[in-house]
Formats: sequence, structure tokens, C-alpha cells
Amino acid sequence: MSDTAPAPYLLPPVLISRADLARLAREVESLENELEAQRVRESADTASSHMPAMSRNLNDFLETNKLDIADDQTRMALKERLRVMKDQAPIIHMTFAADADPDSLRQLVTWLRTEVHPQALISVGLQPSIVGGVYMRTPNHVHDFTLRSLLAGKHEAILHELEGLA
Amino acid sequence: MTGWWLAFILGSLAAVFFGFIWIVLSLNRLQSGGTGGKKSVEDLNKAYTDIAEEDATHLFNKEFREELRNRGRLRFEKIIDENAMFLKQDLDMTISQLNDYMKKEISAKLDSEFAAYAKAMQEAQELALDSLKKTTTEVDQQRIAYGEALQKDVAEQKAVLMKAYNENMAKVVEHYVMQSLGDQLDLKSQLPYIIAQMEDHKKEIMEDVRL
Repeated sequence: MSDTAPAPYLLPPVLISRADLARLAREVESLENELEAQRVRESADTASSHMPAMSRNLNDFLETNKLDIADDQTRMALKERLRVMKDQAPIIHMTFAADADPDSLRQLVTWLRTEVHPQALISVGLQPSIVGGVYMRTPNHVHDFTLRSLLAGKHEAILHELEGLA
Repeated sequence: MTGWWLAFILGSLAAVFFGFIWIVLSLNRLQSGGTGGKKSVEDLNKAYTDIAEEDATHLFNKEFREELRNRGRLRFEKIIDENAMFLKQDLDMTISQLNDYMKKEISAKLDSEFAAYAKAMQEAQELALDSLKKTTTEVDQQRIAYGEALQKDVAEQKAVLMKAYNENMAKVVEHYVMQSLGDQLDLKSQLPYIIAQMEDHKKEIMEDVRL
């Protein structure tokens, strides 16, 4: 048994939020239960067991990390590490002015996992008053990248332009 | 020469004095002598009166009295006519003089009144002119004061408006932009800006996430 810690899982872009990770963990657990049930049925029936249908998220996750879900050890480890990851992965809250489309969220989470943390998750919020941009909250800081703050910081520029027009 | 004049004066005075003495003595003598002949004088006077009355009846008869009456009437009429003529002449002259006097007086009075009137009119005109000038000056001063006050108020109002403008215009523009673009900007179009902002603050984000 090796003492080195296993390499952390890579999260595919489709896994964006903690809810996605929790859903993935539940799916793995459900898959584990299903395979266990099949194993019990296999002992009584001679028919061969088959792998249950998996969601796209789980498939992407497995492909990204090159995991064999049919392997019991792998599945057990995956279930445990997903539970831990769900509780420990850094969550970055991002509030937008409009509903965030999945493609944009995937781009954002990809950037975060590439540049900041490989297991970063996003918690999405909605606040129309920020006009545009994003209001980002990390565990200890708040980063206001909204259009409202940008306009507020440009008051003097607006006044200068308006005075130029007057 | 002076001695001669003195002798002449003294001689004249002595002559007057002796003449006066002589007159006094003559009157005294006449008075003392009349006491004895008083009765004869009265008789003589009575005799003269009787003779006069008797002759009067002969001298002043009816024709003579008529003649005298006519003469007196004519004379009286002549005198009256002359006096009337003189009176008329005097009256005409008086009237003429009175007319001249009245003309002069009235002219003088009118001239003085006209002069006084003209003077009063001139004074009133000058007074009105002064009052008008004073009023004009006051109106000008008031106008200038009102103008300055108005300009001051306008400047204050402008300053207040500019202050409110400066304080609120940016918010108004910001609000306008928010209202206009709030529902129009989708996340996809904002991604380059968001990622650029995150790139600018990547270090801070990394430090915070890895704590």
C-alpha cells in the first residue's frame, strides 16, 4: 500500500456547482447500489449483469479521470472522495445580472480550475441591479466586477464628458 | 453901512409903534364920544331904512324883477352849462386817466401775476424735473440693485443646480444605463470582461482560495 496521496480528481466543465458534485456523488452511490443489487441477482440468475445507464456528467467525469466505474475498488474510492470533495472543494459564489447560460458557466469554471484551483466550484446567484459583470465572493474576499461599480467609479468621467457637452 | 441899516430898522419900528398908539387912542376916543350920540344914530338908521323901503318899491318893480329873474336864470344856466362842461371835461379826463391807470395797474398786475405764474410754473417744472430725475435715479438704483440681486440669485440657483447636477447626474446616467442595459446584456457577451477582471485579480483569488 502506497503512502503517497492519490492524485486529485479532475472535474469536467459540466460539473459546475456543489449541487452537481452532490448529484454526481448520489449517482455514484446509486450506481453502487444498483451494481450490488445486480450482483445479488447474478448469484441467483445465470444471466449476465449489465452496467446501468449513467448521466453525461458521470460519463464525462469518468472519461476525464480515466476511471473504470465497474471496478469495485475504484467505485468505492470514488464514492468516498466525491463525498470529501463535495465538502472540501473551494466554492466561489458568482452573482450575475441575468440568468447564466451553461456554456458561459462552463467557460468560467474552466478558467477557475485552470488558473486558480483544479476543483473549484461555482455557486450562481442572480441580482439584476448589478447591471452586468459579476459580483464574486471567495471564501474571505469579495470582488466587485459589476458594471454598476464600474459606472460608480467612472462618475468623474461621466461628469467630465457631460461638462464637455454643456 | 451897517449903522445905516440899523438906524433904518429902528426908525421903522418906532414909526409902527407910534402908529399903533395913535389907532388905540382914536378908537378910545370914538368909543367915549358914542355914548352921548347913541340915540341920534338909531334915529338916523331908522330914517335910512324907511327911505330905502320907499325907494325899493320904486326901483324893484315887477318888470325889473322879471328882468333880473331872467338874467339870473340865464346866468345860472350859463354857469350850470359851463360847470357841466367843465365837469364833463373833468369827468372825461378822469375817466381817461382812470382808464390809463386801470390799464397800467391791470397790466402791471397781470405782468406781475404772469411773472409769478411763470416763476411758479418754472419752479414747479424744475421741482417736477428734479423729482423725475430723483425718481429716475432711484429707479436706476433699484434696477441695478434688483439686477444684482437677480444675478446673485441666478448664480446661487445655478450653483445649486450645478451641485445637484454634479451630485446626481452621474447617478442619473448610471440609473439610465442600468435601466437600459439591465436586461439586455447576456452573460456570454460579458465573459471577456469578467475573465479579464478575474485575470487582473487572479493572484488575490488564488491566495484566498488556497488558504
